Amino acid sequence: MIVDIKEVAATPEAVILQFSGELDFESIKSLVDAFKTIDTSSRKYAIAEIGKISMISSAALGEFMGFRKTLLEKDGDLVFAAMNMDIRAKFSSMGATKIFRIFNDVRSALNAFKWQRGLAPEVINLTFPANLHLVPPVRQLASRIAKQKGYGNKDSFRIETIIDEICNNAIEHGKRGEDQNISVKIDIDQKQIEFDVINTSDPDKLETLKALLKPTHEQKIHSEEKRGRGLSLIKMLSDELSVDCSEKGTVVHVKKVREVKNGISN
Amino acid sequence: MESQIELIYEDIRGKDKAKLIKFIGDLDATNVETVLEKICNLFNEGIYTVVADFKKLRYVNSTGLGILLHFSKSAREKGGCFKIANINENVYEIIEIIGATSLLEIYDEVDEAVAALN
Amino acid sequence: MNIQLPYKFELSFPGDIEYIPAIRKFVSEVLLVLQFSPKFAYRSEIIVDEICNNAVNYGCKTEDARIDLICNVYEDGIDFTVKDPGGDHQHIERLKNAISVQSDEKSNTGLGLEIVRMLSESLNVVIDEQNLTSVRIVRKREDISQNN
Repeated sequence: MIVDIKEVAATPEAVILQFSGELDFESIKSLVDAFKTIDTSSRKYAIAEIGKISMISSAALGEFMGFRKTLLEKDGDLVFAAMNMDIRAKFSSMGATKIFRIFNDVRSALNAFKWQRGLAPEVINLTFPANLHLVPPVRQLASRIAKQKGYGNKDSFRIETIIDEICNNAIEHGKRGEDQNISVKIDIDQKQIEFDVINTSDPDKLETLKALLKPTHEQKIHSEEKRGRGLSLIKMLSDELSVDCSEKGTVVHVKKVREVKNGISN
Repeated sequence: MESQIELIYEDIRGKDKAKLIKFIGDLDATNVETVLEKICNLFNEGIYTVVADFKKLRYVNSTGLGILLHFSKSAREKGGCFKIANINENVYEIIEIIGATSLLEIYDEVDEAVAALN
Repeated sequence: MNIQLPYKFELSFPGDIEYIPAIRKFVSEVLLVLQFSPKFAYRSEIIVDEICNNAVNYGCKTEDARIDLICNVYEDGIDFTVKDPGGDHQHIERLKNAISVQSDEKSNTGLGLEIVRMLSESLNVVIDEQNLTSVRIVRKREDISQNN
């Protein structure tokens, strides 16, 4: 067995251990020695890249478990990356897949770590033509992304509603025309999701829009008016809402904090 | 987090070490490892005879097809089989495109696949 | 419904496979809204899935790598361009080889591109002016019937 230890400049808490050969009983000493070279007070997140490993013994797995325990005590973890199907089947038969997280590659493992630590939000950008019929797929996209990133059903539904209302408003009150587009920027991390929805302002509607946005003009949700509840609804569902309206364009910014009850996403 | 896929297991009457597995959802690169693990667990319990009901499997990509081929091969090597039934038109087309129709045991209905176990 | 094609959609997302299900479903749903057949939408979903998976697995080497997806929808079809930062000639050669090799010589990793090749009118791979690996696929509508 050969092991290469690599540091990650952009993520100082992480370390990559690249293995090749066989993790058999005879490699245990080398494995333990490799673990000892890692300063676990600063390098708490270890990624064991085992794509080039042809076999793994239960003794070796035991050593990995031991090292993981050490890291967990320091609020770290040991994960695996680039596992081939045969090794994965072996892991499964030893019950190890219930203990260790396994990623397709080192990059995914590092991104998962950064996500967990809230080091940087992930950004999705979308530009689509300003047509109301395209809003349902857009809101579903936002909702699915939120769910995929671990937000609960309730939060995902609220996010869907928020995006729906903002995009509908942008299309209805924005400039009309075949060449008009709506831009949506989504910033998402463990704790919150933020949207910026940008459209071109309709110069004829600008003053009306500014009047609508004044606090004194807030529409009540329960009023009998057929339309106009969108902004109120967005305000109720989100944690922050701001609208910047000018001749250049309208930018709606919304922040929604993730709801977590008893450690479970809502 | 993964795409949604659910596996529901049922016994096959008259067949001791065999399972009917209903696949529900989409099988793609995000959940293929989970499915791989579940089927491997079955093989580890000595169950190598599987009939997979794809009636509610909406979508499969090449990664998903890859593991279906793997299951088929692994089951055969252990003296069993991995039969697939109720494939929808769209999924079947993809299997056909990559030329896997001759590599997988495909049946129109679950009953046919079960009868073929005898 | 007021639809005046062509329409253009642009998506940019982190190079991680977990985004791909939402992206491919978005493309499929948009095509259904724009009155393409369910079959066309499904096949397009497959194409987006396979190309994006390929872009993530082989074209994203750094943690901040991103994928760009551009869709132009016309009356008679659609073209997709998927860009990844892979950008080196080895990556391009691998892609081109995967597209041109006969099916029985392929490994699992080539299956995806084979599916895309069979479902597309054309499939081109280049390194663009920004040094991004760019894969462009063109698909024509099978027929204008909604029953396809």
